[in-house]
Amino acid sequence: METAVKSSVDVKAHGAQLIDGNQTFHSVTEKISQITEAGTPKMWYVGFGISVLLLLMGFSMIGYLIWEGTGIWGLNNPVGWGWAIVNFVWWVGIGHAGTLISAILFLFRQRWRTSINRFAEAMTIFAVMCAGLFPAIHVGRIWMAYYMFPLPNQMAMWPNFRSPLLWDVFAVSTYFTVSLLFWYVGLVPDLATLRDRAKSMFRKKIMGIFSLGWRGGNRQWQHYELAYLLLAGLATPLVLSVHSIVSTDFATSILPGWHTTIFPPYFVAGAIFSGFAMVMTLGIIARKIFNLEEFITIKHLERMNIIMLLTGMMVGYAYSCEFFIAWYSGNEYETFTFMNRAFGPYAWAYWTMIFCNVVVPQAFWFKKLRTNIPFMFVATILINIGMWFERFVIVATSLSRDFLPSSWDYYSPTVFDVGIYVGSFGLFFTMFFLFIRFLPFISMTEVKGVLPQADPHNYKH
Amino acid sequence: MEFDSLNKKLEEKGSNGKLALILGIIGLAASAFGYFQAEEQFYFSYLTAFFFWGSIALGSLFFTMVKHLTNATWSVVLRRISEAFMAFLPLMVIFFIPIIFGMKQLYHWTDVEAVKHDALLTKKAGYLNTTFFYIRSAVYLIVWTVLARVLYKASVRQDTEGHSEALDKKIKGTSAAGIILFALTLTYAAFDWLMSLDPHWFSTIYGVYIFGGAFLAAICSITLVALSLESKGILEGVITTEHHHDLGKMMFAFTVFWSYIAFSQFFLIWYANIPEETIWFLHRVEGSWKTVTLLLVYGHFLVPFLLLMPRFVKRRSTALKVMAIWILFMHWVDLYWNVLPNFSKHGMHFHWLDLSTMLGIGGIFVWHFWKTYRANSPVPVNDPKLSASIEFTNF
Repeated sequence: METAVKSSVDVKAHGAQLIDGNQTFHSVTEKISQITEAGTPKMWYVGFGISVLLLLMGFSMIGYLIWEGTGIWGLNNPVGWGWAIVNFVWWVGIGHAGTLISAILFLFRQRWRTSINRFAEAMTIFAVMCAGLFPAIHVGRIWMAYYMFPLPNQMAMWPNFRSPLLWDVFAVSTYFTVSLLFWYVGLVPDLATLRDRAKSMFRKKIMGIFSLGWRGGNRQWQHYELAYLLLAGLATPLVLSVHSIVSTDFATSILPGWHTTIFPPYFVAGAIFSGFAMVMTLGIIARKIFNLEEFITIKHLERMNIIMLLTGMMVGYAYSCEFFIAWYSGNEYETFTFMNRAFGPYAWAYWTMIFCNVVVPQAFWFKKLRTNIPFMFVATILINIGMWFERFVIVATSLSRDFLPSSWDYYSPTVFDVGIYVGSFGLFFTMFFLFIRFLPFISMTEVKGVLPQADPHNYKH
Repeated sequence: MEFDSLNKKLEEKGSNGKLALILGIIGLAASAFGYFQAEEQFYFSYLTAFFFWGSIALGSLFFTMVKHLTNATWSVVLRRISEAFMAFLPLMVIFFIPIIFGMKQLYHWTDVEAVKHDALLTKKAGYLNTTFFYIRSAVYLIVWTVLARVLYKASVRQDTEGHSEALDKKIKGTSAAGIILFALTLTYAAFDWLMSLDPHWFSTIYGVYIFGGAFLAAICSITLVALSLESKGILEGVITTEHHHDLGKMMFAFTVFWSYIAFSQFFLIWYANIPEETIWFLHRVEGSWKTVTLLLVYGHFLVPFLLLMPRFVKRRSTALKVMAIWILFMHWVDLYWNVLPNFSKHGMHFHWLDLSTMLGIGGIFVWHFWKTYRANSPVPVNDPKLSASIEFTNF
């Protein structure tokens, strides 16, 4: 028992070592608040400028889309759903990692999440905004977009409640609302810190309004912790439900390659997979620019790599399951669809997907590679490309080879498909640059909570 | 039963283990008698019972591996319980033998004549044929046996040799590879042993569905053991209310997970309404099967979902015990509902063989569990995370 007790102390000490560099409460506040208070770095202007340009390009193309109609896209007769749905699903998927980190890892008592959860949640919100863009514009007649909502009207016209596309509207808007609330509740104590440090009256007022009169009293903390726990509980089912509902856009149909029962959990795993890749991409850049290596340590990155290894294998499992059952079903259309995916005209897209999503993450079995920053940076980008191709493969292969061979066609995007997709990156990064400039992108309060000093027994040893 | 603090082992005082063994033997003997009365019924009942007890062992194997891989602290005191459950896996090899004899009754695709006249089954014959089925089943059983033995032995070695990096590496390495093997073997075992009972039908989610039920059953079983130890005053202050609470949360979470997967399967098939898929559910709303289907909706999802939500249920031993038993019962109903409609097609007909096979394998299962659990220290005494696990509290 002696040894057990002794080593448990080590475990505790080890567990507390989530943040490097002997930080104190003060140094945490300084380091993170500084980013929002000091002058704007030149690199920020460059990054923000590029993002805004892309955003403007995207929006002008959307303007042209609304003027001309969806004919400017590469859609053709069998392929009536092109990049818009692919981008929508991809962006919604990205958001899932943020919610997993902030809600599920919180319930699982994974305290290492504290230094990544704030910007991961922000990423969720921005990704959902980008996702929401596509259903809104893909209808062509954007002035009719309100038809997506069940609004009472004099024509007694309602959306079809049996349509998965309507469930998307509910799922995504619920998701956005809860994510925003969760993110904001977490921000309140940090905003109060910024308010207290504010030098200018204007800043003090703005931060004062948004910190909702936070004084940091005992009772306020108690309520705050409870609210946070409840929101985590509410957000947890959303991690599963949102992408499950997105998967029903395809799976409720009778199209081979779309209609298969594993779609809901398979989409959820894929969403978390791609979301973690995006969190990593952003995190690696942000820690470099702002010298936050002590907060987002190599251990954080390593753990996220392990999650990508796991979720990557889950999507691999789903790919193989689908393929096997397509054959096992004995249904020749199912079998054809999958053979066509792997060896048909879109084989290049299929094998890109397999390489990026199944092969690349296997590198993370090796500690050398999962702690190698340049390698993981490239890997996360490859994974995001792979996950985009996953949705592209699903949409394009099944539609382009429909039941009537005479109507088969090959889908290729136009400059507007690409431009609007790139424009959505503009939106995403514009928001993200604004966020890291004006708000604390690492949670000060939560990071302080995992410092050794925060443990009431810390000084006893 | 009593805790022998000198040897750090549990000592048999009553005759619980023996009672289970006797019941098991009686159950098996009765089932053997039933075999001569109703041969086909016997095989279907037996398969259900076989998979029910096997699924607890499989879920426990998963529990053990996941806890190793995630470096979990809270569950260290429960590890021996899950290990003793998974130690049943080698015995599954023996219990599998009757299924070999029942191939003809259980699996329609073994009928060569029928396959010839069935275009779909002819297509599937490359996979659904007796030889390949035996090879695959042998692979599953060997993989599970090896994983269970290696992990169990390594864990016990920690008790005698103490904790070492090398041992830790071995356990983690086995678990990492094991979890992949587990996912594949369980999926294909579910396809082979259960899904192919209706050889025309297919569902890609089926493996995940069976996994969800198995893991939930394992959590319930681990909880029941923890609570029974508590009621005997064993390991007081070691396995505490805090651990019960966490087990309760897991029970809640995986009740929802099972329901999510079960609903996904039903819903997508119902919505697309393709006859070759809906047939499976149509059989299960025929006659009295409909009642069983509804029982699953309410009993396997709604009731535990609502009752396990409040905090006090998870922290009060009696309430948690009732929930664990109830969910285990529902898990049996679930498997029964998967297997038996292939036999009594137009309605549910309960047969005493359903009970006797459960009792037979279950008696051996329970006896074997206590025997294994008693053989070594009831908690891994040299695990470096042990005291952190004992002191663990929920926030």
